[in-house]
Amino acid sequence: MIRFEIKKIFSKSMNKMALIVLTAALVIVCILTINNIEYIEYINGQKKVSTGIAAAQKIRDAKNQWAGPLTEETLSKVIQKNNEINSSPEALSDDYREQDKAYAKKQSISAITQLISSAFSKLNDYDGYRADSVTAEEVKGLYQQRIASLEEWLASGEEFFTDAEKDFLITQYQKLDTPFYYEYENNWEALLQNISTFLLVLALAIGFFVSGVFSDEFQLKADSIFFSCRLGRNKAILAKMEAAFLVATALYAIFAFLYTFIVLLLLGTDGSSCPIQFDMWRSSYNITFLQAYLLILAGGYIGTLFSSLAAMIVSAKTHSTVLAIIVPFILLCLFPFLSRIITLPGLCSFFPDQLLEIYIHLRYFVLCEIGGTIHNSVPVLLTFYLIVCVLLPPALYAIYKRTEIK
Amino acid sequence: MELELIDLTKSFGSFTAVDHMNLTMTNGVYGLLGVNGAGKTTLMRMLCTLLRPTSGSISCNGKDIFKMDGEYRKLLGYLPQDFGFYPEFTVQDYLLYIAAIKGIRPAPARKKVRELIPQVGLSKAAGKKMKKLSGGMKRRAGIAQAMLNNPKILVLDEPTAGLDPNERIRFRNLISELSEERLVLLSTHIVSDIEYIANKIWLMKDGTLVQEGTAQQVIDSMPEKVWHCRVDHTQIPEAMRRYKVSNMKSEPQGALLRIISPERPYPDAVSAEPSLEDVFLYYFGEQPGKEKAGESL
Repeated sequence: MIRFEIKKIFSKSMNKMALIVLTAALVIVCILTINNIEYIEYINGQKKVSTGIAAAQKIRDAKNQWAGPLTEETLSKVIQKNNEINSSPEALSDDYREQDKAYAKKQSISAITQLISSAFSKLNDYDGYRADSVTAEEVKGLYQQRIASLEEWLASGEEFFTDAEKDFLITQYQKLDTPFYYEYENNWEALLQNISTFLLVLALAIGFFVSGVFSDEFQLKADSIFFSCRLGRNKAILAKMEAAFLVATALYAIFAFLYTFIVLLLLGTDGSSCPIQFDMWRSSYNITFLQAYLLILAGGYIGTLFSSLAAMIVSAKTHSTVLAIIVPFILLCLFPFLSRIITLPGLCSFFPDQLLEIYIHLRYFVLCEIGGTIHNSVPVLLTFYLIVCVLLPPALYAIYKRTEIK
Repeated sequence: MELELIDLTKSFGSFTAVDHMNLTMTNGVYGLLGVNGAGKTTLMRMLCTLLRPTSGSISCNGKDIFKMDGEYRKLLGYLPQDFGFYPEFTVQDYLLYIAAIKGIRPAPARKKVRELIPQVGLSKAAGKKMKKLSGGMKRRAGIAQAMLNNPKILVLDEPTAGLDPNERIRFRNLISELSEERLVLLSTHIVSDIEYIANKIWLMKDGTLVQEGTAQQVIDSMPEKVWHCRVDHTQIPEAMRRYKVSNMKSEPQGALLRIISPERPYPDAVSAEPSLEDVFLYYFGEQPGKEKAGESL
């Protein structure tokens, strides 16, 4: 039964089109992600900017000279190197082309100097040149400076946090393992920055795929025969649900894997164990790039399942595939769209569209209090919607089972 | 096998489609005749558990069919009046899929499909996609799906609608062939479809049965007689207004009319044998003298 249900899904010409669109989206997002990586070099005085695979290889070689734990000693060396470049004739020249040459030399240490600038800037006011004025001695206190910046910022009252939330954030900052492990990680930054958009396209496409699983029986006028069959009101419904789940999971897994595989194959896999603070300095999550990536994938998957289940419930209830197709768009696109026009209340941070915005949640402080305990939003979001996803199938089953053909 | 309808009623808001119906069916072919909107399809949908009655019950061998659920549907084969397919499925895939939702295991399902495809005359179309089939072929695929589980109860709603005369005859014969050892309920508004094959005929109007019996009993139940007469062309409008005219054949020397009337309509009218079509007209046709809907507009 499941095989036939899957065949029904993939035999629809609209779904074949959706598969083509999805493949095109994959190619476009891969190209955009890969081209995020840029490397500048001067050969015989001529500037050469490379992007993509070639740039990744060069920047990887350059950065991995500094690979290893970012100890006080390494940080001091970086400051020394930075100062050397800053005091070079190119950097001191009034000619911007000469200054560019100095900048090009900084590419190998740029991630670390950005980290230093972040640590010694105010938490909410990043100064990209701050590393230039940090001494080799001062930089040894980088990790303590991160906590001090947070405490200073929380005390300023710039944004309101309860005392419990402040304590939680400070504790999270204190718990962060130091020294950071460093290696080339531009690949992960690029991957994380672009994946949310791709996962949104994927979730919408999967919603499109499964939205007709229940309503097509009515659209095709095959409902009478279906429901008059022995298993039409029990196992055949389960087969539809299983087929939809398998299709949603398989499509999600295949396309997410392809995206990850292509990007990491071309840009390299290094940097997976670097802390996300290299890209998200403020983050209150003490996790690596790989863990962040898996959280984003998990959010995307649960968001896809949730919107697909909601679409199928509408499909089963209204018998309309068109209405069902709209559901994922409302759930996943309406609030992000509205938030660009109006300021939405804080509760909107827990709406289903946020499952596809895990990257934002990791980057900024989004907290919630449950039973007097403060939590980061991501585990709460994932747990809550996972439970909802477990509860929705019985509702879907009950709705379809009660169908009457009038 | 016995199906019993007790005080069965189905209402949609203020409209009652099936009105306190009581009847019992055992093995044999039952023909349900009625005009469109008489409640035939609603009755059949309730018999197929697609609709729940507003009141009353349907029992199969003494058990409520809605409580029997899948066990009842295991006995059932249903060909709806207006039904669709999965357009991209081949005939064979379609039948295998329906076999699966009928709970037939794959190996026996394949065997049954191989048997049924030639039986319904679809051997050459077995690998064709459903969307490529003609109307008649689709009907045949429809009857094949209904027969997959070798049903003890076969419900056929307007099975010959849209078929050409050859296909209708072929279809009728097929139903006759399939009707042994099972209960077949056949709904139609095409009288000749059931005249030849139904053991018992029910005439249904406004949600109730107005007459029942064998074809002969139903014919005999008509209290009026059937007359053949020839009238001048100028007399046709008057004849149509005064009598129920079940047939009219125009000829150069006048029109040959078949009239249903308690008394001889014209002096030269001769009595004729009534048919089921005459009975249909008698019960469901417009009353003489009434203007047709729209004519008064």
